Parts: sequence; structure tokens; C-alpha cells
Amino acid sequence: MEEFLAEDYLLSAVDVLVRIVEAGGAVIIFAGALTAFFKFIVAAIRSRRSDDFVTVRLSLGRFLALGLEFQLAGDILRTAVAPTFSQIGQLAAIAAIRTVLNYFLRREIREEREELEARPMLSDDVKSKGGAASHSAESG
Amino acid sequence: MPYSLDALATLVSGAGLVAGLIILSVTRAWRMALFSMLDFWLAAGLLRLSGAPSWPVIGTAAALIAIRRLSAATLRERE
Repeated sequence: MEEFLAEDYLLSAVDVLVRIVEAGGAVIIFAGALTAFFKFIVAAIRSRRSDDFVTVRLSLGRFLALGLEFQLAGDILRTAVAPTFSQIGQLAAIAAIRTVLNYFLRREIREEREELEARPMLSDDVKSKGGAASHSAESG
Repeated sequence: MPYSLDALATLVSGAGLVAGLIILSVTRAWRMALFSMLDFWLAAGLLRLSGAPSWPVIGTAAALIAIRRLSAATLRERE
């Protein structure tokens, strides 16, 4: 039992978990950027309306916010195995950057959605897409 | 930072530049184009922050994010 709970095993296990969670965050961010890029191209070819571009931006913001949540989870996990003061300092800096960024990103998404909903000429389809994107980002 | 993450971040940065230019050419809305481009570059910065970054990488990402926030806030005020 003592062997199973040895510090080395704990460090290895947490390290694997951190890598998985951080990789998940990176995959979400990359997938979001890729999806947004193709949606921008489709919107540019098909509709050419600026409202559609705003909707795609909201969707990208939602992906970024979700990816940040994963990366913050990885930061929290990493605090369990940060042995040196330098590592803790780096961790604090990264976590601070991500937390501040997450806050501003969410605020921006909310403002964009309100702006989108306030436009009188907007179709219900675009409104519902923007609203859904922002709502899911805020609820996370 | 792993090489693959750096490559992905560069790819996202390039995609942001292309997307910005497309939006600018289609809508002539330069603010929208700039914001979209900055969103992609932000995604690239976040990808670079993944893994176990060194202090210079952290500093660069922080500066990029600060510039992005500042420019977005300034442009919003002028609208």
C-alpha cells in the first residue's frame, strides 16, 4: 500500500493527468480556430453579411473560453506537484494570465451578444446562433 | 514548448491573417477584420502557453494579450 502511494507514483500520475487536460485544452482551442477559419470563408463566399462574421467570432470566443477552462484545470492539478519556488512562480503567472483572459473573454462575448441582439434588422436565425454561443460560454 | 505546439500556433496565426484580410475585402469593416485577426492571434498565444513554457514565452504571451485587450478597448471607445 505504501509502495502504491509513494510520491513518485503520485508525481507521475498527476503529470499524466496534467498533460491530458492541457492537451484537451489545446485541441479545443485549435479546433475552434480551425472551425472559425472555415466558417469565415463560408460566410465570405455565401452571405457576405457582417452579422454572420460576428456570429463566427462569438463561436470562436466560446471555444477559446472552453479551452481556457481546461488549461486552468491543468494549472490547478499542477499545483499538486510543483516542488520548486520557481515552478510555483511560473504557474502563478500562467494561471493569472489565463484567469484574467477568461474574464475579459466572457465579458466580450456578453457584450457582442447584446450588441447582436440589439440590431433591428437581424434575422432570428443569427440571433439564436449568437445567443446560444454566448449562453453556453457563460454557463461554463 | 513542444515543437508541434509552436507549429500549430504559427498555423493559427497565419489563419488569422488570412481571415482578417478576407473579412476586410468582403465587408470593408476594418474593425471587424482586426478583432477577428486578434482573436486568432490570441488563440495562437494560448497554444504557445500550453505545456510548460519558459519565462520569455510567458512574458511574450502576456504582452500579446495586453496589447490585444488595449487595442480592443481603445477601438470600442472610438465607435
